[in-house]
Amino acid sequence: MAKTKKKNVKDVKSVGVPTEVVSESKHLHHHNHNQTKSIFKNSPVYELLHYFERAPDQWAARYILILTAIILRTAVGLGTYSGFKTPPMFGDFEAQRHWMELTINLPISEWYYFDLQYWGLDYPPLTAYHSYFLGMIGSFINSAWFAFNDSRGAESNDLKFFMRVTSIISELILYIPAILLIANLLGKKFNIGRMDQIIVSLIILTQPHLILIDHGHFQYNSVMLGFFVYSVIELVNNNLIMASFWFVSCINFKQMGLYYSLFIFFYILNQIRDIFQLILVGATVLITQFIYVLPFAATNPESLKQIVIRVFPFNRGLFEDKVANFWCTTNTLLKYRNLNLGLSQLSLIATLLATIPVNCYIFYKIKKNHKLKIPLLLYGFASNALSFYLFSFQVHEKSILVPLVPILLLLFIDKDNITIIQWINNIGTFSLYPLLKKDGLIMQYIVLQFLINWLIGFDLILPKKLNLNNLVINSTYFLMIIYHFIDALYSPPIRILLFLVILEL
Amino acid sequence: MANVAITETKHYSLLNIWIVSLILKILISIGYHSTDFDVHRNWLAITNKLPISKWYIENTSQWTLDYPPFFAYFEYILSLFVPSFVANDGCLDIVEVGNYGLPTIYFQRFTVILSEMILFIALQWIIDTSKTHELRRRMYVATASLALSPGLLIIDHVHFQYNGMMYGILLFCINSARLKRYLLCGFWFAVLLCFKHIYLYLAPAVFVFLLRGYCLKFHWNKKKSFIVNVFNYVQWMNLIKLGSIVLLVFTIAFAPFYNVLPELFGRLFPFSRGLTHAYWAPNMWAIYSFTDRVLIQIYKRIPITRFPLQKLFKFNALLLSDSKLLQTSTRGIVGDIEFFILPNITPKLTFLLTLFYQIMALIPLFIQPTFRRFLGAMTLCGYASFLFGWHVHEKAILLVIFPMTLLVTRDRKLLSPYNLLVCCGYGSLFPLIFTSNEWLLKKVYTLLWYIIFYFNFKKVARLPKKAESNDGIILDRMVNGYILLFIPIITITSLIDLLKGKYIILQNFEFLNLMIYSVYCGIGVISSWNGFCWIYFVDDSIWTE
Repeated sequence: MAKTKKKNVKDVKSVGVPTEVVSESKHLHHHNHNQTKSIFKNSPVYELLHYFERAPDQWAARYILILTAIILRTAVGLGTYSGFKTPPMFGDFEAQRHWMELTINLPISEWYYFDLQYWGLDYPPLTAYHSYFLGMIGSFINSAWFAFNDSRGAESNDLKFFMRVTSIISELILYIPAILLIANLLGKKFNIGRMDQIIVSLIILTQPHLILIDHGHFQYNSVMLGFFVYSVIELVNNNLIMASFWFVSCINFKQMGLYYSLFIFFYILNQIRDIFQLILVGATVLITQFIYVLPFAATNPESLKQIVIRVFPFNRGLFEDKVANFWCTTNTLLKYRNLNLGLSQLSLIATLLATIPVNCYIFYKIKKNHKLKIPLLLYGFASNALSFYLFSFQVHEKSILVPLVPILLLLFIDKDNITIIQWINNIGTFSLYPLLKKDGLIMQYIVLQFLINWLIGFDLILPKKLNLNNLVINSTYFLMIIYHFIDALYSPPIRILLFLVILEL
Repeated sequence: MANVAITETKHYSLLNIWIVSLILKILISIGYHSTDFDVHRNWLAITNKLPISKWYIENTSQWTLDYPPFFAYFEYILSLFVPSFVANDGCLDIVEVGNYGLPTIYFQRFTVILSEMILFIALQWIIDTSKTHELRRRMYVATASLALSPGLLIIDHVHFQYNGMMYGILLFCINSARLKRYLLCGFWFAVLLCFKHIYLYLAPAVFVFLLRGYCLKFHWNKKKSFIVNVFNYVQWMNLIKLGSIVLLVFTIAFAPFYNVLPELFGRLFPFSRGLTHAYWAPNMWAIYSFTDRVLIQIYKRIPITRFPLQKLFKFNALLLSDSKLLQTSTRGIVGDIEFFILPNITPKLTFLLTLFYQIMALIPLFIQPTFRRFLGAMTLCGYASFLFGWHVHEKAILLVIFPMTLLVTRDRKLLSPYNLLVCCGYGSLFPLIFTSNEWLLKKVYTLLWYIIFYFNFKKVARLPKKAESNDGIILDRMVNGYILLFIPIITITSLIDLLKGKYIILQNFEFLNLMIYSVYCGIGVISSWNGFCWIYFVDDSIWTE
């Protein structure tokens, strides 16, 4: 009671007498000066959220952030998905649904063997458990959705909605809290204002690529990325044991997480101080991994080998479809298929060539200046994942999500580079365009691309100063727009991706 | 001192809010739409393909043109802009059931979004014509809440209608009244009536306001005779000006249809519909029907009550033994008989009840024709027609919410009835969209809207001058409790809906589900009406200038 009364008194002041409002805003100004001045002052995102700037209202801004994220995802989810009404194979939506169907209907020992021609399970065990869990819930609601063999290609509206909700909830449980947590953590470490934390989180959660892939095209990448962000949180906290637990979970959900592995391996080694800690971390990795494969090992030890074969298919091509990476770009000049080379070895060498110098530099810097540890950690993840994306073997265009997450996390410590960071993200989303076009998600693509760039504000997106970087940025945007108009067979800006590595350093 | 300048010149613009809502509207444009979509498509076709004299005659499709002429003109103008690829898609075919694809959907959704610009212009006009910074701040919250209204999103952009434009015109009328530009006010309202005649429900308030505020002036001149004085009560010049403007608007609207007027009015006022829909709008008749259903069960289960019930209501007990007939009623299918135990309701009765409550609201307005009284009276007219009207659709709740929103920031006491109204009013719109894909969207959006504006209204609403008594706080808590209880109600009804495919027994609850829902909302709306009436009739400080 006392509390409400106090509040009322305060409000009387601010509402009843206009001058009070002025003093209130003065106070706000003062408050802001203590912290670094927000670069988003002129952005629409600030315009929209600044009504919740007062400290007591900030919690509301967080809930608004989460609810908006859900609304955006459901709205995108109204659209079509990968393989919509395209028998006989359908697409990723059917793959995910089929895994739910097979995991709930088969004993665990047969999961990785069943009908490999029709979307056989080829993701690591955590995905399998995840599918099993969701499949159980789904078939409890409506057993027809996941009826063994009879449900192939099922596309009812209710099923679609169920699947959409599962991917939203998966993101809501892992990725979104992870981003909010890391916002809080880095906010404290780098003295970022609460409002800026919320704005940057909003920018990260509104990025079109993840929304379009997870909730449009349909996949559960947010789970893997959520595990990764948790791992980064623990690395920032210097808790190597938990970090390795989260990271092992990450690669056990989706092998794409391996893009981070080289860097995290050396980083953890670099951070370990004594042999005891080394043993602890090693044991964590082994035990976690052991637990994840235990159900398979216990029922059918043979299937462990099968998992490895399924998860790492080295007998497929160098790249799928049109991926915006090095191999695909240079393929137009040299036909790799015609060259008699060990392609996997070639890509391995290229990847190592791209990553090793950078990593050496980063670790040298960390040794020299301990204060730069966290920025370098994020830069390291970003550049490594990007190199893997560009040069490694068997890359799918969706893999662009992997490097984009650490790049986005850079926003927390390096807000001033938002122009470049958002530029990379725009290109990343752009590189997904052929995939999205196939899925019939062009409208969602255009709307979301507009949304994120408008929210940040075109002042921050389009650099004004004249130098080489800015020229590149502006001309890529120009080319992207031209491309969308022509929508030609070959995507010219793909080549520009190559500049990323250079710019990254 | 620089801060003073900043706060005072701060320009409140709805542009960013419009862009945000635009993005959501485009994204959901490909989702579910109701048969109203085909209705409007059919009207496009009729107005485009037929001469004006046939518009109200044509009946190939069951969705005949039943809006007033301006709306028909509006559809005609839209149909002129149909691109050829949309026309080839079947947009302009006069057929029994529309056969159309994505191009038509994008085109029609686009027309809704475009026509809604009128709403945003009207809202921005309201902000810009507010004099003090305080008032602008309050009006900004109120107008933003209308711009983002979940009701409009659900009805216009999912279900499909053009309410945004209509309410934009209504707001033009209201703001003209605020600026004391009576002629403009009359003009806009006449235009509005020629677009959609549901606004006739609000007409008494506008009529009394214009009559008393503009056309009558009570001053007694002792030197002149009684007759001259009474004659001078009427501002003849004003009356003629206003009357001719209104008449002109109606003439422009109806003159081209001079030879089909009987058919036109037959279309506008169909009296052959039932009292309630299959799903009950949350009004008095929902509660009434619910009581009837409860009494039926009591009558059937507890034999001892049969005699007193029979004596009290004098119903035909034979009907109750006909289980088939009973089935249709308890399942919510509107048959010939709507009530078994309680007396039947006639259109005349609903009309009289509506009129009675409207007149009650108009008396204070006649005595004291201030702008806020006008808004209050308009709100109450909306309430009366919504609660007691014949064949009321749940969409009509916007008639109450729109005028009331412009009022609430005036006094914090109004917040309780307002919160109850928006919560139950918007909540009652959920069953309108029954598809699974939009299930989460409509709920999360409404929740988000409620959270944002609950706190912002609380922040900007004016506190009453007199110290608050404790009753207010207790009432406030009860209202909040009732609103919070709505969440479990939605959860349970949704769960029953979700699992009804699995457990056949739950299918028996299907109608019960909707019934609980609409009764819950109905009680909320009625309580908010009571609360608002109390403030309207008892508390004078809000309504004076």
